[in-house]
Amino acid sequence: MPEEERKDMPTSVLKNDITKPNVRTTTFTIDGRERPANLAGETCTCAVIHSENFSLHYGSKAGVQNITMDIYPCSVTAIIGPSGCGKSTFLRSINRMNDLIPHVHTEGKLLVDGHDIYDKHTNLVNLRQQVGMVFQKPNPFPKSIFDNVAYGPSLQGVRNKGELQNVVEQSLRAAALWEEVKDDLKKSALALSGGQQQRLCIARALATKPRVLLMDEPCSALDPIATGRIEDLMHQLQSTYTIVIVTHNMQQAARVSERAAFFCLGELIEYDWTSKIFSNPAKKETEDYVTGRFG
Amino acid sequence: MKLRFRGQLDRVFTIATGLSVVLLTLVLLAILGPMVYRGSSAVFFQGTVEFRKMQKNLFGRGDEQALHAEVAETEKVRQQVYEMIDAFKKGVDVEALSEQVRQIHRQFGQDLRDRNLPAGEYTRLRELTRQIRDKLEAAFRSQDINEIKRLVGEVLKDESNPQLKGTSAEKLFAIARQFLQAAGQIDLGKHQEYALALQEAEGILFHSEALPGLLGPRPGEPPAPLVMLRYGATRWDQAQTLLDRFLWVEHWVEEKPGEPLVLQRKPRAELFPEPLRPLFTYVEQNAGKMLHPRRTVYWQFLRDDNVNSHYFGGIGPEILGTMLITVVGMLFVIPLGIISAAYLVECASDGWTMRIIRMGINTLAGVPSIVFGLFGLAFFVLFLFPLLGFAPRPCILAASMTLAVLTLPVMIRASEEAIRSVPATYKEGSLALGASRFHTFIAVTFPAALPGILTGVILSLSRIAGETAPILFTGAVSLGAVPRSLFDPTRTLSYGSYDMAVGDRLGMMVPHNQYGMVVTLVLLILILNGAAIMLRTRVFKKLRGH
Repeated sequence: MPEEERKDMPTSVLKNDITKPNVRTTTFTIDGRERPANLAGETCTCAVIHSENFSLHYGSKAGVQNITMDIYPCSVTAIIGPSGCGKSTFLRSINRMNDLIPHVHTEGKLLVDGHDIYDKHTNLVNLRQQVGMVFQKPNPFPKSIFDNVAYGPSLQGVRNKGELQNVVEQSLRAAALWEEVKDDLKKSALALSGGQQQRLCIARALATKPRVLLMDEPCSALDPIATGRIEDLMHQLQSTYTIVIVTHNMQQAARVSERAAFFCLGELIEYDWTSKIFSNPAKKETEDYVTGRFG
Repeated sequence: MKLRFRGQLDRVFTIATGLSVVLLTLVLLAILGPMVYRGSSAVFFQGTVEFRKMQKNLFGRGDEQALHAEVAETEKVRQQVYEMIDAFKKGVDVEALSEQVRQIHRQFGQDLRDRNLPAGEYTRLRELTRQIRDKLEAAFRSQDINEIKRLVGEVLKDESNPQLKGTSAEKLFAIARQFLQAAGQIDLGKHQEYALALQEAEGILFHSEALPGLLGPRPGEPPAPLVMLRYGATRWDQAQTLLDRFLWVEHWVEEKPGEPLVLQRKPRAELFPEPLRPLFTYVEQNAGKMLHPRRTVYWQFLRDDNVNSHYFGGIGPEILGTMLITVVGMLFVIPLGIISAAYLVECASDGWTMRIIRMGINTLAGVPSIVFGLFGLAFFVLFLFPLLGFAPRPCILAASMTLAVLTLPVMIRASEEAIRSVPATYKEGSLALGASRFHTFIAVTFPAALPGILTGVILSLSRIAGETAPILFTGAVSLGAVPRSLFDPTRTLSYGSYDMAVGDRLGMMVPHNQYGMVVTLVLLILILNGAAIMLRTRVFKKLRGH
């Protein structure tokens, strides 16, 4: 990371230098299974998403203000914070989903892979294919499972049936859904259970082969078992994808993420290793929030 | 206590809703039941031999030989009716008798000239028949039986005259004898009255100038110009009505001055003297044998063209016209409605222009349909068609377009609601995958909104198929050829039943046809709607993944 950019980062970030490979040596256990603390840190160190003094306003109301942070590839970054703090707004800014809301304007820079996505020449189609998104509520289209997953690739112009089948299978396998649905791909996606639907949405997002996967509270509508499966899935995916997850559930953030950012009132308060955020935060607000004294 | 009260309230609510459903069903049945019953009588009824005759002659249906046998059988029974009437006529219809006598006298003169008799002989014979003629005419006019006897006696003296034997003048004596016999049995003062009453009775029995009768024209009579007069009662229910009219005379009587008139019925037989009275009992007892009513299924009602303004035949062209107008109208309504709705939901801003347009659409839905009819005439027929180089005359296309304008508000509103109710998360999901707004609409929003849009289709379909006023000036006719292109006017079920109800005296004589038309229209709409509802259910199930 270039030196000039680092200057803009919060001091806590600089002190701990989270751009370095993960130094954590503990192992996480989810559902009794173990996984290495760091799968990707060795190789991927340059930021995929670079935000510099990024602000977004809804009319005159501020959504997020002066966000400056880097999000690193092949890892899970969690954004936590109280309701209305702008974490979802920031997440949706990364693939410009906020464009749908009238009277939105932005300031500052938000780079994905080095491109300013708020440049007027940005190809939204390409951007959204690079930056996939999974929503809070499972939102499979009212189509068959196959058509749901094939939706993205066919948008990219894949017409070949065999190729589509390959992509669908790969994506469903990657989303750990293949074994459950391989026999009835023609079935409507709405017939699946909530957890399956959310994994289908992940598969649908993966089918466009994105680099970044944005997850907006992906488990808030699911029961603990389905949540566990999604979290497992995130662990598997983080070796290949850059995952940004917004969550209300701090245990979940602690379980799945390597780095965590704490937002409050539209501002980035603290951004650090997850272990640090939860055990030894630098800011009082963060500590209040993670210990439950906030609000 | 309170809990119990709440429980009872719940029960009352359940019962009330259940009752209202039952009530609604009953009301529906009460409305539809009689209509369907009467309408179905256009297809299912007791057809008489006259019906089969008509079918054979006008539509070429049925077995010719069987029909011949049947006609011969009925004619045998009818023969007695003819004979009774003729016998009576000989004593009553003095005008006709005088005419007959004069005719014979003229014919005889002609014959004499052809025979080239000597001049003296000719004058003598001619004078003789002239005297006979005058005596007979005097006898016909006379109201005194003794005088008639005397006159006829004088006439009959000449019967033995050898010069009249074997000539055409011989018929005069037969007439004279029959008249004498008949005159002995009737009240001579009532000649005129009897003649008029007989004319009326014959009108009901055979046919009058404008109305068909019970048995149809007598054999050998030249065919009437109106096709409907050439057949008797084709349906047994019709025959029953005519029989009733034949047997009973109705008139309004003032019982007390100033009071409303009272309808009185008395046997028609009483209008006639003794010798004709058996006719009425004979017709009453043998009506079945003269008409042979038989259970008939006339399904061709749905296919045939009509004859004499729906007196005979079916409603084939009307069904075809209704379907054409509906289909062409839907071809305009569906795409226009969906596109407008998509624009209103997906693209339109919330400015005051859009608000005015929205208000306009809502207002349009409440405009009386006749206004659309005049609009269609003024805009499509008289303005747009000449502009595009078409003849400015009412046609299917203009009617369909007018109906499309009429139902567009319904379609737009239904589609708008449907598109609006598609969860925003579907759109977001699609956009997040990189789809354009257009592709999102086509691939995700539209299929998800399809059930609601189909509801709009159902609503506008029923409206288009059933409307009368908008097509009054733009494309409907009550009579006319079957349309060959969209630029021809057409008959429709809705306009046809309207026309039969208001404009057509004949229509009132065949209510089963009018009901048949209405019921067919209802059934047609039900079938089209059923298809749309089935489609909607399938789409819905598919979307839901069942």
